[in-house]
Amino acid sequence: MRKILAPSAIAVTAALVLAGCAAGGSGGKASTGSGTKAGVTLTFLTFETPNLTAKYWDDAIARASAKVPGVKIKKLVAPSADRVGYAKQLAASGQLPDIMIAVSPNGFAQAGQLAAWSEGQLTDFVSPHANPVGGKVYQLPYNTQPTPFVYYNKADFAAAGITAEPKTYQDLLDDSAKLKAKGITPFVVGGGGKDTWADMYPLIGAVATDTYKQTPGWLAQKAAGTAKFTDPAFTKAAAKIADLAKAGYIDAAGLSRSYADDEQAFRDNKGAMYPMGSWFAASADAKAPSFGVGVFAWPSDDGTLAVPAYTGGGMSVSSKAADVPLAQKWALAFMLDKTSLDNSVKTDGSIIALKDYTPPAGMGPVYTETVNLYQAAVKANGIVNAFSIETGDGSMPAGLADKAAAGVADLINGKKSASGFGSFLDAEWTKANQ
Amino acid sequence: MSTTLAPPPRGETTQRPGGAPSRRRSTRLPKALHFLTFGAPGLAVYLVFVLVPIAMAVGTSLTNRNPANPPTKWVGFLNYTRLFSDDDFLKSLQNTLVITVIVTVVANVGGLAIAMLLDRRGKLYNALRAVFFTPVILSSVVVSVIWQAILSDDGLLDSMLRSLGVKHPPGWLSNPDYALYSVAFIITWQMLGFCVVVYLAGLQGVPQELMEAAELDGAGPAARFTNVTWPMLAPALTINTVMLLITGFKAYDQVQVITNGGPGNGTTSTVAFDVVQTTFTGNHIGYGSAMAVVMLAIIAVVSTVVLRVLQRREITL
Repeated sequence: MRKILAPSAIAVTAALVLAGCAAGGSGGKASTGSGTKAGVTLTFLTFETPNLTAKYWDDAIARASAKVPGVKIKKLVAPSADRVGYAKQLAASGQLPDIMIAVSPNGFAQAGQLAAWSEGQLTDFVSPHANPVGGKVYQLPYNTQPTPFVYYNKADFAAAGITAEPKTYQDLLDDSAKLKAKGITPFVVGGGGKDTWADMYPLIGAVATDTYKQTPGWLAQKAAGTAKFTDPAFTKAAAKIADLAKAGYIDAAGLSRSYADDEQAFRDNKGAMYPMGSWFAASADAKAPSFGVGVFAWPSDDGTLAVPAYTGGGMSVSSKAADVPLAQKWALAFMLDKTSLDNSVKTDGSIIALKDYTPPAGMGPVYTETVNLYQAAVKANGIVNAFSIETGDGSMPAGLADKAAAGVADLINGKKSASGFGSFLDAEWTKANQ
Repeated sequence: MSTTLAPPPRGETTQRPGGAPSRRRSTRLPKALHFLTFGAPGLAVYLVFVLVPIAMAVGTSLTNRNPANPPTKWVGFLNYTRLFSDDDFLKSLQNTLVITVIVTVVANVGGLAIAMLLDRRGKLYNALRAVFFTPVILSSVVVSVIWQAILSDDGLLDSMLRSLGVKHPPGWLSNPDYALYSVAFIITWQMLGFCVVVYLAGLQGVPQELMEAAELDGAGPAARFTNVTWPMLAPALTINTVMLLITGFKAYDQVQVITNGGPGNGTTSTVAFDVVQTTFTGNHIGYGSAMAVVMLAIIAVVSTVVLRVLQRREITL
């Protein structure tokens, strides 16, 4: 019996691994939704977080469906924060959802799996041409997220004798030294478990001030082969992160913290500064920490504002949906619903990028301060791309953002120098395009 | 009493029990019918869920299939030649081997030691057997989440060490020098109960007469273990070793949940993890399939060789 069992176990084990790769033909199924006489059933891929709960999605779906008769929505929920990876797995087995939200169109659009939005459908959006792929927009650009701002513990700053927010990078270093002298870890970082990306924010800030501010299209130059990650324009930013870690301002042990633990560590006062996306503002207002929270932009050398931000995050529709025009109509109804937008602002700190939209009254102080800082950067022409978060033409190849996050962990751990990090990214970029 | 009934010569008339005499038809048709009735469903399942996916993966591995970069073209063995100069894949392979060796050796040794301690009668020992077996029935994801809560920087273990005065406790999951061993430890911990149960079954199958005979011949505990118990445990060793080898080679869940391949680039990445990342995150379905095929070959060869070697020393009484 054992003679049969063991080889069978080997074969089944291997087959399960192999089946994952071979799943799905190139053609795939036409649609996961279905059309009936009573209407069309469309699948909708969502994701749940502590802020965006099942009820939030169910209520929003019901409101949009009431506006577009003939559509029945079958909600799918991504099993983890990696909704792009989940969507790719579904696509590989011919089950790409008909409608998706907050899934980068990279890869799907190039493969012809998404339907493009027309100019007429984009008239309500502030940045209707954000993140184009081949000149066409595949994801509704409804939401702007400055990523990162630096949220800080006002009590820790006061305890260290810091009276003003840092304006220049030298100020930031001086303040970090004062905090450390008081026994306070200056920066909280994460990056543990499946949330490797959570270690990226200091680097995104530094690339904004040291690379993108000077050359806004730097990554497109890299894609075109006229720039390299080993160029001083990039390694200067990487060196700042390596130096912060080397000076003990970033605690490398934090790399074992998941995203949720990362936020909790800041709330538990395990560090004074928390570089994070603007969505933290809603969380800080909804469940205020025991200390006051302030916010400033990652400072540049000369004090000019350079705020990395990404506008996108909205709906995309499968080109194989049972009824593409109806699916797009429903997606727009969902996206433009004022109640849903208000809920998104309240629960996820969204900065809505729709013309004539006004946020709900009574938003908390951290959200208000965050929006004011963003508006100041807009006025100062200080908005730049958020490194590794960009999508569309000229952005990183698929999978490279994960490699960048892994490389940042090596920078923080001292396993890679700034130039070594640059060489690593150049090599991974080449590999990703093979 | 038993008798052996010789089959009647082909074509000879025979008497069916309780039935009228009939001319016996060729045995080929009933055999085929028998096979179709009982064997075909199993064969169909095996074909559809094992052999066809393997064939499809092998076929895909010979292409450059990438949904973000159509069209798919035939590239021959290019993916395979690329693999052996790919530092990330070689690192994953090395990590997989390290995990496999640790899991196979430590779980076998630990499992045998615990099984010998539990090879006694009584309610306490029954309860302890259940305790040791519990991790085996838990989902790997659940086990991973539990251990992440224990081993992370703000976790149970380091908090305890800090309370005992250790200022800078080790970063079990954040330090690249420890993370791989932490993952290997967690997989070992989960598999330990399986080994214990298999060895216990083996120990309980050791004939008492042999032990008594050895004792009468003057053999001490060590000699009895070496000359009687250990050889009699050969079948258990074979099962445990093959299952642990497979578990080590296919390690994925724990890496995905606890470290996501990090900290840093590929520190704890395994081949199975690399296959999924390459295929579904990087969109390189052809290249990922080549990795999976190489993994299949490695598992098949190593497991078959180990199986053959261990089976040779098995004792049949």
